[in-house]
Amino acid sequence: MNVVVCVKQVPDTSDPDVEVHIDSSGKGVDESKFSFVINDADNYAVEEAIPLKEKHEGEVTVVNIGPEAANQVVRMALAKGGDQAIRLDDERFAFSDITATARLLASAIGDLEFDIVMTGCIASDDGYSAVGVTLAQMLDLPHAAMVKSVEVIGDNKLKVGRELEGGLLEMLEIETPCVLTIQTGINEPRYASFKGIRAASKKEIKVMDLEATGLSEDQVGEAGSTAVMVEYSVPVVGELAEILEGDAAETSVKLSGILKEKGLV
Amino acid sequence: MNIEHGTFVEKYDLLGCIQCGRCTGGCPVTVRTDLNVRLFVYETVDDDRLEALSEKHEIWDCTTCNNCALRCPKGLDPFEVLLGLRSMQVEEGNIEPTAISALESVFNNGNPWGKPRALRCNWMEDIEGVEKVRILEKGEKADVLIHTCCTACYDPRIIPLARNLVRVMEKAGVDYGFIGEEETDCGSEVRRLGEEGLFEMLDEDNTELFDAYDSGRIVCLSPHCYNTFKNECENIKTPVLHYTELVAEIIREGKLELTGEIDSKVVYHDPCYLGKKNKVFDEPRYILGRIPGIELMEFNQSREISLCCEGGGGKMWVESESKEQRLSETRILDAKEMGADIVAVACPFCLLTLEDALKAKGFDEEMRVADILELLGESI
Repeated sequence: MNVVVCVKQVPDTSDPDVEVHIDSSGKGVDESKFSFVINDADNYAVEEAIPLKEKHEGEVTVVNIGPEAANQVVRMALAKGGDQAIRLDDERFAFSDITATARLLASAIGDLEFDIVMTGCIASDDGYSAVGVTLAQMLDLPHAAMVKSVEVIGDNKLKVGRELEGGLLEMLEIETPCVLTIQTGINEPRYASFKGIRAASKKEIKVMDLEATGLSEDQVGEAGSTAVMVEYSVPVVGELAEILEGDAAETSVKLSGILKEKGLV
Repeated sequence: MNIEHGTFVEKYDLLGCIQCGRCTGGCPVTVRTDLNVRLFVYETVDDDRLEALSEKHEIWDCTTCNNCALRCPKGLDPFEVLLGLRSMQVEEGNIEPTAISALESVFNNGNPWGKPRALRCNWMEDIEGVEKVRILEKGEKADVLIHTCCTACYDPRIIPLARNLVRVMEKAGVDYGFIGEEETDCGSEVRRLGEEGLFEMLDEDNTELFDAYDSGRIVCLSPHCYNTFKNECENIKTPVLHYTELVAEIIREGKLELTGEIDSKVVYHDPCYLGKKNKVFDEPRYILGRIPGIELMEFNQSREISLCCEGGGGKMWVESESKEQRLSETRILDAKEMGADIVAVACPFCLLTLEDALKAKGFDEEMRVADILELLGESI
C-alpha cells in the first residue's frame, strides 16, 4: 500500500509568549521571530501512514510546498519512516490560496502510484481546512475529512471514522485510491531522533519548480488563486469586552473575581 | 533495533560490577519506585535482553542523582546503563509525548520549553540598577562569559536568578558578558533523556560557540549546564565554573559587600549536580554565611548524602508512575521540622521542585524556597 503524505511547515505559535504581528505589507504576518515546526495535524498524518506501509507493504512519499528550510519537517517525516520526498519550491508559488495550493500538490501527486493521499485536516497557521478536499476534487478521487480511524478492509477498500460534532464518529467505507484528511489525536506520533534525521538526509528529496510541475504561471501563486488576500486587521475591542491589565498575578485575581461575580464558578 | 554484540558490556564496563548492592542501597528513588539499578546492571550483560529491558518503565524513574556512582566501590556509573536503555527507546521513537515536545523544541529552538529563540534575551530588560546587560560580539574579550541556561531565560520563576546574577556582576565590577540569542541548550537533559545524537550536535555547537569568544571563564547558573560543559563536552577548553564558585571568589577578594540583613534560619539543600557530582559543597555555604542575619542550618542528609529533589535526569518531562510521597516533599518536611525559614538552593530545578513541594504541603505562608542568587539580590 503506497501512501502519499502532505506536510506543511508552519510557525510555532503554541507558546503564549509568541506575539503575532501583521507585517508591513498588511497582507501577511511578520515571521521573523518565529520558529518553525511541522503542522500538528500533518504530524498525525505521517504517523498514520507509516504503519499502513509496514503492515501492507509499499512506500510512503512525503510532499511539501516550501523553501529549502522546510527540509527540516520533510527530513523529520523521512526519519519516521517516509521513503522519499518531493518539495515544490519556486518563488512563483508565493501567495497561492487553497485552489492554487491544491493544484500544485495535484501536479506532484498525480503521476505517482498511490492508494491513499493523506493531509492534515487543518493547517495551524491559516486554518483553512480545505486543501485536502480540494486536492481530492482535482485528483477526481473520493475523500473523507476529519478522519479519526483508518482500517484496511479489502484490496481496494478502507473503513474510516470521521469525527463529527458532539463527539460522534461517522463510520464510512471508502474505495482506494482516495484522499483522507487526518484529525489530530488519531494516534500518538513517534519521535524522530537526531540520528534518524541525519540518516534520513540520505533519502532523496526531489525538488520541483514551476516548469517541473507542468503548470503555467497563471495557475499558481496569486494569479492562480480564486481568493486573494486583501489585508489582515486586528479586531476592534467591542463594548462588552473588558481587557484585564496587569501582570499574571493581578489579572488572575481580577479574572477569578469576575467569574465568581457572574456565578460561573 | 540492532544491538551490536557486547555493546553495553564494553560501553559501561559491566563485567567490573561485583553485584555488591551499594548502588541500589543508596538509590533515593527506591522508596517510591520499583527501580533496581543493580538488577539492570546485571541483566544488561545479556545482549538478547536489552530490548525487553529498555521497555521497562522503571528506566525513566532514575533522576541521575549520581548516588549510585558515588557509592560504587568499583568506580562504575550504574545509572548510565539506564540512559543507554533510554537511548534505545529514543531511537525507536517510543518516548513520552512530554519528552518528545522537549526534545523537538531543543532541536528547533535551542531550548526544551517550546519557546522561540527570538525571546531568549527578553529577561534582560529593565534590571534594577543596570543600564544595559552586556551581550558580547563574536571575538570580544570578557573575563567571564555567563551561560544563562534555558530555564533561567524563559521560566518566570527562574528569570530573577539571572537578573540577580547580573546585578551581582555589576556591583562587583566583574568584566562579564552574555552570548545572546545564539546561546543554546547545554544538552544535559537531552543526554539524560537518552537523545545521544542530539547531545552530540549540541556539544559541537556549544564548543564552537564558546570558541568564538575570548573569555577567561564560562560561568553557569545551573549545576546541570555546569556539569555538562565541565565534564561531558570534552573539547571545551575554557575553565567552567558554577556561579557559587565565582561569587564566593569575589566575596573573598572583597569585591562584593553584602549589607542587607536577612534575619532567617536558612538550611542549604545541596543540588546533586553541584554537590555529589562536582563536589562543590563549601562555596554555597560560604556565601550564605556572609549574608548578615542568616543562621545557617544543616540537613541530616547533606553534602555527599544530600537527598535528590527529583528534578534532574530528564524528570522535568517524564513523570514517575509512583503516587508515593515525592522526595522534594520529604525534604520540605525535614526543613519544617528543623524550624527553617528558608530552604536555600543553587539550582533552577531544585528551586522549582522544592517550591512545588512547599506549596503542596501548604507551608508557603511560613517558609520559602530561595536560590542563593535571590538571597544575594536581597542583600546587595
